[in-house]
Amino acid sequence: MPSTEKPGNRPQFARTDALADPVSAAAIRREFSDWLRRSFTLDATKASDVVLAVNEAMANAAEFAYVTGERPGTMHVQADYDGTAARLTVTVADEGTWRSAGPATKERSRGRGIPLMHALADRATVDSSRAGTTVCLEWNCVTAVR
Amino acid sequence: LEVIVTSQPAASQCTIERRRIGEIEVLSVAGVVDMLTASQLEEAIAAATKDSPRGVIVDLNAVDFLASAGMGILVAARDELPASVQLAVVADGPATSRPLKLIGIAEVVGLHATLDEALAALTA
Repeated sequence: MPSTEKPGNRPQFARTDALADPVSAAAIRREFSDWLRRSFTLDATKASDVVLAVNEAMANAAEFAYVTGERPGTMHVQADYDGTAARLTVTVADEGTWRSAGPATKERSRGRGIPLMHALADRATVDSSRAGTTVCLEWNCVTAVR
Repeated sequence: LEVIVTSQPAASQCTIERRRIGEIEVLSVAGVVDMLTASQLEEAIAAATKDSPRGVIVDLNAVDFLASAGMGILVAARDELPASVQLAVVADGPATSRPLKLIGIAEVVGLHATLDEALAALTA
């Protein structure tokens, strides 16, 4: 799982080729949360909102992306900060196809992740194609630690 | 006091303690409720329901992360509990009560800020 964390005024976080499964999602969530709190001066509510929204994007990738495959595929998590716009952007991409809820599935979170992402982020988009799904989450008024 | 379930090392940590206060079963949840640990909450609620309580309180005040997987368990519990068993959820904070309110689960499950408030509501 290659990773990059650049210090300075353009904080960046990346976890590429991570296994799209719940254990990996939980580990990346903890790492992302630590990075977020180190890099930005966020109040408790905003920090909590960002971590939950990113978790839900990864959870969707872990739940939906590879349901037909024998093994979990990969997901990529990247966070970029634009200091001029004070904007934090987080993308979570996978190479699978999300499925809508079906009668055979028992996942209780089904259907709540996307409304949560929209409620928690200032802007949330979900782009699906045959090549995979990319969730993009944005927050404004984010100040980096100097 | 009975410790029903404990953590998975190196994964998400979740501890659930169950105790009985009169006719009410109280589940005190601590740590993380996510995709990995939501089943622990589901099992704890099912176990608490077996002793014919008048109500079940799920206290999330020591939870520092609640994902939609855990919220789904709360909604399912409300749907699946017998009509004679009341449900209440205790939560107050950015990681718990805030997302429950944001997507409208607070009204469904009966949200209270403190255990005392929840006990008062269920024993009223």
